[in-house]
Amino acid sequence: MIEVQNLTKRYGEVLAINGVSFMAQPGQVTGFLGPNGAGKTTTMRILTGFMPPTDGKATVAGYDVFEHSMEVRRRVGYLPETVPLYRDMTAQDYLTYMGEIRGVKNRRTRAQEVLERVGLIQRAHSRIRTLSKGMRQRVGLAQALMHNPPVLILDEPTIGLDPIQVLELRDLVRDLGRDHTVLFSTHILSEAEQVCDNVIIINQGHIIAEGSPAGLRAELERGGRVLARIDGDLEQALPVVQGVPGIASAEIRMDGIVATPANHDDPRAQIAQALVSNGFKLLELRPLAVNLEEIFLELTRHERNAMTEVSDTATPEESEVASS
Amino acid sequence: MTDAPMPYDAQTHHLSEEVTTGGSIPFWAVFKREVSLYFRSPVAYAIAFALFFFLSLVFNGYIAQANQRAPAQPALIPNLVTFLLFLIGPLLTMRLIAEETREGTLEVLMTLPMGEWHFIVGKFLAAWAYYTVLVLLSLVYQIIWTQVGVPDQGVAFGAYIGAWLYGGAVLAVCMIWTAVTEDQIVAAFLSAATVLVLYLADIAASALAAQPNLSMFAEILRELGLQAHYGSTLARGVLRLHDILYFIFIIIGALFITTRIVETRRWRA
Repeated sequence: MIEVQNLTKRYGEVLAINGVSFMAQPGQVTGFLGPNGAGKTTTMRILTGFMPPTDGKATVAGYDVFEHSMEVRRRVGYLPETVPLYRDMTAQDYLTYMGEIRGVKNRRTRAQEVLERVGLIQRAHSRIRTLSKGMRQRVGLAQALMHNPPVLILDEPTIGLDPIQVLELRDLVRDLGRDHTVLFSTHILSEAEQVCDNVIIINQGHIIAEGSPAGLRAELERGGRVLARIDGDLEQALPVVQGVPGIASAEIRMDGIVATPANHDDPRAQIAQALVSNGFKLLELRPLAVNLEEIFLELTRHERNAMTEVSDTATPEESEVASS
Repeated sequence: MTDAPMPYDAQTHHLSEEVTTGGSIPFWAVFKREVSLYFRSPVAYAIAFALFFFLSLVFNGYIAQANQRAPAQPALIPNLVTFLLFLIGPLLTMRLIAEETREGTLEVLMTLPMGEWHFIVGKFLAAWAYYTVLVLLSLVYQIIWTQVGVPDQGVAFGAYIGAWLYGGAVLAVCMIWTAVTEDQIVAAFLSAATVLVLYLADIAASALAAQPNLSMFAEILRELGLQAHYGSTLARGVLRLHDILYFIFIIIGALFITTRIVETRRWRA
């Protein structure tokens, strides 16, 4: 279990994280979601006992990360963002070495066990330099599992993997989530949606939303926004939609018009009628499917440049594997 | 641990207490790994080769002319080794911490349940152990010497002990620079410069001692220098507690500074 209260970290003038509070429950995968530079790695480094916070309090497995750093480190498995490995060692030797430093009993057998769990047992005696990126990532994960810690902290473990490896790793993380407290960071939103039981969205050092992926989605769908796509000039159609009674606002996005109703009523019938009666050819009219991507853009909108391209589709690195 | 779905159970987490013993000595693990790396590293063999090539050339020349010279210098080899430490020390140590910083493996080490001193002392002892092997191998010249002549074994003994301690001090000083920078070449150059300064300190001190108002400063400089504790004492077979304590003090002091420097990475990262 991870409990974070009002955690703040300042590097000189830069405030990396500011008053972050959250909890990660055992038996769950908690997703830590945010763009690069949001403060995910900083928070994780504090939780692993790598560096102290400037202010605030964090307990991991019941121990304060600052006061009882060694106790915390005994109970945490950490996979940093750039999986740092000794490339001249074999996977088996590397794990045995890390196990020896940690004081793991029967470390040779234990190394075999964790290699089995991450599906790398066939390559146990290959030098790490000869392993593919995905395999190295799994060696890093095996290292984090060596001492069977109750808490796992994984910093962007799927970065740089090919689509199949990404799927395998996500399955593994979900599986680990059943018997560990897992804190898993990613900047890929659909990934958090697939893997995590609970999502914390962080941006510029602040937590901006927290909840289950479904809960966050429901919260934003309550707005009942709809997307209308027409065959014709969107600029001309926009005032028509804006003129529909009960529509609070409308804007051109995702090659269509996104309309937000003032209350929770479904405005689709009125919008369809208004558009057709004004001579526009209506192609599509549907409630806006809100995924985490949408939620994220929504939540960070005021912080972003208004000109940012908003895409309906998943990001390129995602498109091959997105299956939600 | 099985792959079958396992419901979360607080019991499971008592496993972690069973898996680890808690009473490990991490620096021993680090030491063993680093020693085995030295014996598998081409660089370490290249250093050994260059050292012994040079030693054998000098030794050969010395022996060839030995009958024209009196008395023989029994500390010849230890003296050469201590002089060459400004090269050997940086080359043996430059990799130790700089590489881990650059590769990011240091970050993992710093999240393991061990204090920084464990891996610093482990690495230092490994470097010193490799150096010890080099010194022991150089005893072969002493054996040849005893076959062809009658060197003063007492002087030789003191000089070898001196060269061994001297090496420990130099390697510890070099550890500081490999912790400061993540660039091995920079670490090697700064280490070599530092060792040369410490090597030449007593010469600078004797130059300064001529000035009456600087004599106090000159004395401190002399005390800090490596040669003042080796050249005129240990290398002549004089075992003084004072000199041995100096080398031990340098080793502990330098390793302490190294530990503090590595600790600052937690604040700088």
